Amino acid sequence: MKFKSFLKDRLYSIITILFCYFVILLVLFAYKSDKAIIIAITIILLVTYIILFLVDFLRKHKYYTDLLSNIDNLDKAYLVLETLSKPEFYEGKLLYQALYEINKSMCENVRLKEEQLLDFKDYIEMWIHEVKRPLASLVLTLNNHENILDRKTKNILKRLEDQVDQVLYYVRSENAEKDYFIKEIDLSKVIKNVGIKNMDDLLDNKVEFMAPKTNYKVLTDSKWLEFILNQIINNSIKYKRNVDSSYIKIYVKDKADTTTLVVEDNGIGIKPSDIKQVFDKTFTGTNGREKTTSTGMGLYIAKNLCKKLGHKIEIESKENEYTRVFITFAKNKYYDVLK
Amino acid sequence: MVKIMIIEDDESISNELKELLQNSGYEAIILKDFNNSLNEILKVSPDLILLDINIPFINGELLLQSLRRSSNIPVIMVTSKNSETDEASSISYGADDYITKPYNPNILLLRIGAVLKRMNANYGINSNELVYKDLIFDTQKGVIKKDNIEIVLTKNEMIIFSYLLSHINKIVTRDELMTTLWDNTEYVNDNALTVNISRLRNKLKEIGYVDAIDTRKGQGYILS
Repeated sequence: MKFKSFLKDRLYSIITILFCYFVILLVLFAYKSDKAIIIAITIILLVTYIILFLVDFLRKHKYYTDLLSNIDNLDKAYLVLETLSKPEFYEGKLLYQALYEINKSMCENVRLKEEQLLDFKDYIEMWIHEVKRPLASLVLTLNNHENILDRKTKNILKRLEDQVDQVLYYVRSENAEKDYFIKEIDLSKVIKNVGIKNMDDLLDNKVEFMAPKTNYKVLTDSKWLEFILNQIINNSIKYKRNVDSSYIKIYVKDKADTTTLVVEDNGIGIKPSDIKQVFDKTFTGTNGREKTTSTGMGLYIAKNLCKKLGHKIEIESKENEYTRVFITFAKNKYYDVLK
Repeated sequence: MVKIMIIEDDESISNELKELLQNSGYEAIILKDFNNSLNEILKVSPDLILLDINIPFINGELLLQSLRRSSNIPVIMVTSKNSETDEASSISYGADDYITKPYNPNILLLRIGAVLKRMNANYGINSNELVYKDLIFDTQKGVIKKDNIEIVLTKNEMIIFSYLLSHINKIVTRDELMTTLWDNTEYVNDNALTVNISRLRNKLKEIGYVDAIDTRKGQGYILS
């Protein structure tokens, strides 16, 4: 709050006061008063008003500066009322009351939306578990009657399953609540599970899957990591180049306080103009438009899940040469000590 | 024959599951009366149970908990819930393994095999040495022996041979072999599988078993 603006706001009061002062002066001159009395009255008036304005200014100044700076400093600005005491002056009280009411109605609104979202999430989760039952029965039927249906049908089924999973993890990643479970897991096991899941797809597309067995352990939620890895490998298969020796290579880079999982393929790669946006929601890029159908959700969800788990996910690529995706896990010294 | 009990309320799943298990040489029994699950299980006394979490009358985890008070029958949880917490809680109730729907049938069979093997190992059966006719297959050293002749198998050949051996006289599909190999982190392709099979055949021939592995066109292989 600036003093100048404060005075400018009180321009009318000041003009009125000056006008009064001149009227008093005129009266005093008319009665041929003593110079001393005129000076005394002037000083008294001046001092009174300066004190009045100053006190008024200082009271409000403290309150409003606190308000503004707290708004700036809080990451959740709507909580600012909790940081301030109730003001003593009338305007402030009005403002406080108004803010209080606005906040209350906002909170109620947000709460309502949160409940709706939670209901929706519960519904989706339930739906996914339901839809997995017919899927499971289809997979089994297919296996028992292998002569009727072939690998292609299996692949279609797997695509269906992947899409269902994507919805599940989208809902989970968008939700504020914590429904993951971090423990130490064996990277090889996760890679193996994802590999087997994609086996038919890899074999059909003649993509070599290279993942030497390693003993690296990381702190993560294995189900989430499997989903993330599955997204990346799906992309690698989808965007393979039409060459004889397509491959997906998975390896680990171990450093002092991080472990990085690298998934490398020799697919069509990503255009430099696209690469910054591949993790953006619904971004499909040139590849997505030219190749098959793409929703632009896979990597976005993967990134979101990584963020929640505290992993870093990065991508580098050279067009028509390679794409590398890095997932970096932090090592926890504390956890080692506990063991 | 190994008896496996299926506890699953979705009939189409349990019937297909039964067929799958029977095709793989197990005896499969479907639990019908969910009202009285625990007694039914104890009456049948299966060697292994496939248990769904969502079953009528009693929750699968509760059933498992009460089962564990009186019995050590190995249990594999089969469920469509796929979060890490569900898995952890199932294991803590005493499940031996956990698999989520929709599962790869070959993986399910591998898991069943692994759990049963673990149980047998607990009963002191030495599973390092397998026998095929008058051959001894030492899985730890990775060799097949007959009299004084020893032939070393590569890891892939070993995996293939032990799978064929455990399904002796039954057709094994390429898909099953492939899944078994991948499950052992040997990510081979179609060509490599063919090559490995023919190498294995040659090694068996060397030791005196010509045509031990037969190819059934369009179906798979059979060890007889």
